[in-house]
Amino acid sequence: MGELVTEKHVRYILAAEKRKDDFESVVMEHLRMNGVYWGLTTLDLLGKLDTVDVNEFVSWVMSCQHESGGFSGNIGHDPHILYTLSAVQVLALFNKLDIIDVDKVTKYIVSLQNEDGSFSGDIWGEVDTRFSYIAISCLSILHCLDKINVEKAVKYILSCKNMDGGFGCTPGGESHAGQIFCCVGALAITGSLDLVDKDLLGWWLCERQVKSGGLNGRPEKLPDVCYSWWVLSSLIMIDRVHWINKEKLIKFILNCQVVLAELLSCDFESDTENGGISDRPDDAVDIFHTYFGVAGLSLLEYPGVKPIDPAYALPVDVVDRIFFK
Amino acid sequence: MSKESCSEEKGLNLLHQLEDIFENDPLIDEMGYIHPSQFSLLNDESGIPGDSPEEVLHPSAERTASSVESLLDASNQENLYFWNRDHKLGISTQILLQLYRSAKQSFMSAFKQYKASNIQSDKVVDSSYAFPSCDHLESILMRHSRSLLLLSCDFITAWNCRKYVLSKKNQPSVFMDELHLSALVLSYAPKSEQAWSHRRWVIKSISANCSNFNEILEKESELVEKIAEVLILCRNYILLNWKEIKDELPCLESPMLVLHELKRARNWAAQHIADNSCFHYRRRLLLKILEDSSCRRCVSSGYNFDMEQLWKDELDWNRTLVNRFVGREALWLHRRFLSSCWINHFLTESSNTSNASKETASKYHEFGEFLENELCLAKSCSTILDNDFEDLQSQAKHSACYILWLRTQVPKPLENELLEKLRGVDLLNLLNKSCPERSSLFNDIMK
Repeated sequence: MGELVTEKHVRYILAAEKRKDDFESVVMEHLRMNGVYWGLTTLDLLGKLDTVDVNEFVSWVMSCQHESGGFSGNIGHDPHILYTLSAVQVLALFNKLDIIDVDKVTKYIVSLQNEDGSFSGDIWGEVDTRFSYIAISCLSILHCLDKINVEKAVKYILSCKNMDGGFGCTPGGESHAGQIFCCVGALAITGSLDLVDKDLLGWWLCERQVKSGGLNGRPEKLPDVCYSWWVLSSLIMIDRVHWINKEKLIKFILNCQVVLAELLSCDFESDTENGGISDRPDDAVDIFHTYFGVAGLSLLEYPGVKPIDPAYALPVDVVDRIFFK
Repeated sequence: MSKESCSEEKGLNLLHQLEDIFENDPLIDEMGYIHPSQFSLLNDESGIPGDSPEEVLHPSAERTASSVESLLDASNQENLYFWNRDHKLGISTQILLQLYRSAKQSFMSAFKQYKASNIQSDKVVDSSYAFPSCDHLESILMRHSRSLLLLSCDFITAWNCRKYVLSKKNQPSVFMDELHLSALVLSYAPKSEQAWSHRRWVIKSISANCSNFNEILEKESELVEKIAEVLILCRNYILLNWKEIKDELPCLESPMLVLHELKRARNWAAQHIADNSCFHYRRRLLLKILEDSSCRRCVSSGYNFDMEQLWKDELDWNRTLVNRFVGREALWLHRRFLSSCWINHFLTESSNTSNASKETASKYHEFGEFLENELCLAKSCSTILDNDFEDLQSQAKHSACYILWLRTQVPKPLENELLEKLRGVDLLNLLNKSCPERSSLFNDIMK
């Protein structure tokens, strides 16, 4: 196992996008907006975004927008801040941000900010620092960050800092690599990284690397390819990425690729099972881990993969287009 | 009849069967998906439909009258696709796709109609006219959303519609039903983010109006512990509830509750020493007591406990675990927290009594002793034997890192004390030997 099998991954993504006749695929349809973002960003990082029908995706994305301004995971589902960010990111990939009614989306996100600066995911009120990141990232892309109370948002995020230097989902929540990415990303975008103890956090993050070279999300857990993104991007943002062993991590990610198809049940054609990346070696693949694996390799500057922005989780050329046009 | 409408009808049939099972057995508290081959085992011709798996595998000579009856009564189809006994439900994997499609379609259409009728009833002045049809639509909606959630646990829209319906109600019993449903979903999908989120919402909603809130919380702790895999969501979920208690029920002596919980959770923690969430939970409880005790210092309180002793006990208990369970990261991280707090709260607090200088001297002495003990422990764990026993290597790595941690936690005025004690220990060498991968970290930290 020595290389990234790009062609197979591209084929895997394109096939997975079309698959609608098995339970596992169909039961994910409520989060299709996320899946589309993962799949398309991966294709873009591999230089193959032109293999898909732009108009088909753009019109589908827009048909997921609600009156409230938020986007849902799929047509007919309820809106949520999670899918709102993914929708905006997908449109950014296609350079179609100009078709968004910026005021409408902004209004939706602003309405989700609470008194204490935190953000809810939707009208039902669940609070999580993930939603803080989403709000800040999304509004930043739309050039409307000033419409929320940034100071309070930052204050709330900092209140979720733990003694080990990490961040949780709410004040007092356990430090977790995913939450850390969200908090650090949000602080990066709002220019508040000086408020992070970088040595302390960097220490916690680099301890996520286990013997196999993979990264886990918190102590005592198994490594998982998706943490190649969350831990790595956080380390890059706080300028401590030299504290992990990059070569070992690259090897781990490449080992999570599925190169030879295993003949599973008769439901699958063996061809479509080629490609894709799983959470750890020898497990089943999915779009989620394929994206994070490739994104991780991008951060590690693997040849043949476009560079990705660690805070916005979009290809650097897309981010440049948004901010430096 | 076209192939499509045939399969649609079959799907609806399956949905009705599923929903009938719930009508007949509203107490179902556990479910799972069963592969068809396992199904035939459960409903083997040599066994009797409805037998428990154990009975099928080890058939006994006795058959009760009721199980013979059930053999005669049970429809053939039900045996092929659904299995229901002892309040447990099994669904054949063979029909999942079809069932999902029809559940989703029925749900979406019911939701649409319900929303439309709600808009109508808001407009109609004489609302009693709209009510009966609204109630009926509501019960259909609740039924279909439940079926859908048994197939797609994170289907946000289905959970939302239930919140929508519930937010118009006041009876606690309906909310209890929601806890029951989410527990059922968690039985087949313990990591379902939406199921946990829904529970949080339900508990928040009833906390204001419920007299037996404590009881409910007790049950929540039990449920969480029952779900074998300890998840970050579980832990955060309980913590969220503690916060809610504090805000909603200020009459509660929360420090006492927290102490009680600390004690109770100790046994459980000892059985889950590789579970970081467990120890994070303890840290939260300890921090809470610390916060409360510092603001109650000047206030006379009905309870008396020695904060310092509590901390010492926790450190001692941790030491026992560290020595017994070799190489466990979670234990060492817990120790980092405990020492950090010990140094910063108990040893270096400024005192404004008249015996200030005497106190300082004794604190200094205590600090020296504390350091001595900690370094002793760490050193005893850091001998790297020349074998490949992974746990011992881990122990060496963790203990060396622990020494480094102490070095960063010690405040400037007391640094010399530490360096004095570390004389003769080439810390950097020790660190690099135990964990060469992290040499970059060690070099930077020790600069």
